[in-house]
Amino acid sequence: MKRSLPLIITFLIGMFMIGEFFIPHYRYRVWTAEFLEWGLILAAAAFVLGFVNLIQVNAPKVARRDADWGYKLIMLVVMIVTMVAGFIAGEERSRVDNLYKWVYDFVFVPLNATMFALLAFYISSAAFRAFRARNLEAALLLGAAILVMIARVPAGESLPVVGEYLPKVMNWIMDVPNIAARRAIFIGAALGAVATGLRVILGLERSHLGAD
Amino acid sequence: MLALLRRFQEMDRRWVFLGMGLAILIPLLFPITLDFEVDERVRSLYDAVEELPAGSTVLISADFDPASRPELEPFYRAHLEHLFRKDVKVVMLSLWDYAPPLVVPILDEVAARHGKVYGTDYVFLGFKPGKELAIKAIGENIPKTFPTDSKGTPTDQIPVMVGYRQAKDFPLLISISAGFPGTREYVLQIQGQYDLKIASACTAVSAPDYIPFYKAGQLVGLSGGMPGSAQYEKLVYPQGPPEGVRLLATQAINVLNLGHLYIIGLIVLGNIAFFLTRRAEATA
Repeated sequence: MKRSLPLIITFLIGMFMIGEFFIPHYRYRVWTAEFLEWGLILAAAAFVLGFVNLIQVNAPKVARRDADWGYKLIMLVVMIVTMVAGFIAGEERSRVDNLYKWVYDFVFVPLNATMFALLAFYISSAAFRAFRARNLEAALLLGAAILVMIARVPAGESLPVVGEYLPKVMNWIMDVPNIAARRAIFIGAALGAVATGLRVILGLERSHLGAD
Repeated sequence: MLALLRRFQEMDRRWVFLGMGLAILIPLLFPITLDFEVDERVRSLYDAVEELPAGSTVLISADFDPASRPELEPFYRAHLEHLFRKDVKVVMLSLWDYAPPLVVPILDEVAARHGKVYGTDYVFLGFKPGKELAIKAIGENIPKTFPTDSKGTPTDQIPVMVGYRQAKDFPLLISISAGFPGTREYVLQIQGQYDLKIASACTAVSAPDYIPFYKAGQLVGLSGGMPGSAQYEKLVYPQGPPEGVRLLATQAINVLNLGHLYIIGLIVLGNIAFFLTRRAEATA
């Protein structure tokens, strides 16, 4: 029963939601909207699970003074402070000055932006070390990358003689080889997703139910 | 010579970092302004807004965070300016929990500049978790998905929402997307099912993924990264910005010039050193 009931629910809900694409009756849509709302409630509940899980995983490590316990303590304190500040600030928390907005503007924004900005440095180092025309395929990739990079900025368009042609060449690379490759990947991935979805609905794929 | 080439290829990466830092810092301190053309995809996005009659309402899904802010905030600001200037009303929501504190103050600021009233001319419905599930629900029934707006007002009592229950009721849906969930999920989940007119502004890294959607007609316009934002700014402000408005992407795109040239230079020099070393080793 512990395994059969989830499989039966998955099958029934899965088949019902697929039916939405083939049965355009409004009564049917009322029910699909209802199921979607249940799904959204479950998704919101996942935040509560995540909150409890973070405490369960990290609090014992802080108590035992495990490796990096200081970082875990900061994470837990900041999580709770931000959450409480958000509750206190209420519906206007994104608009008016309050502790929640202060934490967002002066802690989260600089940290988040800094992490992303560091990519510029790592990409330049990685491109210098790894981008080598060792064979024909690598040389083609290298040539395409350089053309797209230079054509994407005004400096490329301002080059004498070749400047006016660079955006055209870039657009051709993006519109023809890029699309051909990506559509192939999309179609392959979509077929894989359909197959996996059917396996879950039909109960052939059961890993999401856990080990026991 | 061979030793020098080897040393160059194996140089400490901190020198590469220093060069990159200078490539960004120098154009910031000494700006160089170069002109650029507007891409067909960005022009299509602009035209899609131009075709909207005054008084119509668009749905914006603002799904970006501080990390993608330099690429997408300039588009977001210029786009709001464009919409409000044309007297188009805005219904905004977000699928990213990081987004509201970032996008709401800008929405209020641009709306105030145009004398727009919250609830009548624009509304922010808030953040909704659930990713693809939330997108499906937006396609199905917006007031059910967002029972209240971000201020707690019941959605069906907000004047701007009157007559708009599903995504397909809006003449245009604009996805400002920094990743997952975003433009791709809107196209996959609801564009085909409801035959929606969707335009997208995305990060530069996502643009190649979305070009097939644009070419297939699933997106009516596409602005990719900072170059796309700068081109959109050029279309929205052909005579330059009014007082108090800064064209963030137009300024930043010229900073990118030297950064891109620096990386290209490193790649070219690295390859020259690689081939010279290989040839010297083969003949030795």
